[in-house]
Amino acid sequence: MAKEQLNYLLLVVLVSAFFSAGCAHQNSQITTAEAEQIPSAPGIEDDSDDAFSDDELDLFDDEFEEDEVQVADPLAFWNRGMFHFNDKFYFWILKPVARGYRAVVPSPVRTGVKNFFTNLTTPIRLVSCILQWKWQAAGAESVRFLLNSTVGVLGFGNPAKKYPKLNPSEEDLGQTLGVYGIGNGFYIVWPFLGPSTLRDSVGLVGDYFLNPVFYVEPMEAAVGIKAYEVVNEKSFKIGDYESLKKAAINPYEALRDAYIQHRKSKVKK
Amino acid sequence: MKSLLYAVLSLLMLSQTVIADDKSAAEETLRSKLEAVISVLQKKELEIEAKKKAIIEIVTPIFDFSLMAKLTLGRKYWPGLAKEKKERFKELFIKRLKESYLEKLTRYNYTDEKIVYNAPVQVKKKIHIPTDLISKDNKISMLYKLYKSKHNWKIYDIEIEGVSLITTYRSQFNQVLSSGTIDDLLEKLEEPENKRLGKVTSQ
Repeated sequence: MAKEQLNYLLLVVLVSAFFSAGCAHQNSQITTAEAEQIPSAPGIEDDSDDAFSDDELDLFDDEFEEDEVQVADPLAFWNRGMFHFNDKFYFWILKPVARGYRAVVPSPVRTGVKNFFTNLTTPIRLVSCILQWKWQAAGAESVRFLLNSTVGVLGFGNPAKKYPKLNPSEEDLGQTLGVYGIGNGFYIVWPFLGPSTLRDSVGLVGDYFLNPVFYVEPMEAAVGIKAYEVVNEKSFKIGDYESLKKAAINPYEALRDAYIQHRKSKVKK
Repeated sequence: MKSLLYAVLSLLMLSQTVIADDKSAAEETLRSKLEAVISVLQKKELEIEAKKKAIIEIVTPIFDFSLMAKLTLGRKYWPGLAKEKKERFKELFIKRLKESYLEKLTRYNYTDEKIVYNAPVQVKKKIHIPTDLISKDNKISMLYKLYKSKHNWKIYDIEIEGVSLITTYRSQFNQVLSSGTIDDLLEKLEEPENKRLGKVTSQ
C-alpha cells in the first residue's frame, strides 16, 4: 500500500471518529428533549425493549450472576422470629426514643457524642488494619486518635476531619476474618444487634474485647453506655430502615441480602 | 512499512482516547443530571410533590428503567413471560423503583451535602462511577453503573454502600418465582405502601 493511501485511510478514520462523536452528542440532546415527556406517556419507555436482544441481556446477566450472594440460612425459623422482634423493638421503642432524643438534643451535641464513640472504638479499627497488613490505614488511625483525643478534647471534636487521609477506615474483626478467606458460615439475626453471620459474630465478640466500653464496671453501666451510643447513632438514621422495608417485597430477605452484600463489599475494600 | 506502523499506533492511541472519552462522557452525563437534581432539592420554596415531579423529569433520560426491570428477573425468567405480563411487571416495578428512589432523595435537604466523584472504572463495555455523598455527619458511598445505549449513557444499576438495587430485587423476585408464578409476584408488587410497612414476615 502506498504511503498516501495509508495516510488517507488514517484521515478518514480520524474524521469519521470526530464526526460520530459529534453526532452522538447531538443525539443525546435530542433524546433528552424527547425523554422528558415520558412521565406522561409510560408506553414510550418500551421502545428500548426491542433494541435489546437476548445476547445483550446476557451481557448484563453475567455481571449479576457473578454478583449473586447466597448465604445459608439453616436458622431461618429463629432468624425470622428475631427479625420480627427487632422490627417491633425498632418501631415501638428505639425509633420513638431516638426521635425524642433528636428533638431535645441539638445537632452539634449529637455529633460530638458520635465523634466521641468513633474515637473510643479506634482499637477495633487499628487492630483490624494491622491484622490486614494495612499499614497506611493503621498509621492514619493512630494519628487520628492522638489528634482527636487531644486537640479534639477526648474525641468530642473531630479536628482530623480537615485531613481526608485520616478518615476512619471502617474496619472490624469480622471483615478481617473475611479478608483471611473465611466465609460467612450462615446467617444469624441477634436480638437488638440485628443481622450477622457466624463469621461476623465471632468478629463481634473480638470487637467487644477491643471496645473500652466493655471494661466499664458494673456491667449495667456498660450496657447503658452502649444503649446510649445506639440511640445517638439512630438519631442520625431515622428512616433508613423504613425506606428499606418500603422498597422490599419481602423485608426479611431484603435485609438479609443487603447485609450480606454490604459486608462483602467491605471485605473487598 | 514505517507508515503502516505509524497507522497502527495512531489507531491504538485513538482507541485509548475513545476509552478515556467514554469515561469522561459518562461522568459528565451523570454529573450534570445529579447537579440538576440537587439544585431542585435545594429549592426551599418548592413543594415536595413538585420537587419529585421535577426530579423524575430530570433523571428519566439517564435511567434505563425498562432494562432494570428486565434485569431483576434476568434471562431465567424474563424471556418466557407473556407480553402483557411483561408490560404489567415493568409498570409496577418502575413505579416502585421511582417511589423508593424519590423517597431516599427527599430525605436530605442538601444544604451541606456534597457529592465527590471518584475515578470511573471500565467494566467490560460499561462504566462504573463511584461517588461519595458526604454530609456533616455521614458519608454514603454510591456507585452508579452506566452503559452506552444507542443515544447516550444510561444507568442500569446503583449500589448504595455496596448494596446493589438490582441484586436485591433479583433475589427477592427469584425467591417468589422459584415457588410461585408471575401472578404471585405481580400481586405482591401491587400491595399498597402502608400495608407493606406494617407487614413483617411473609412467605
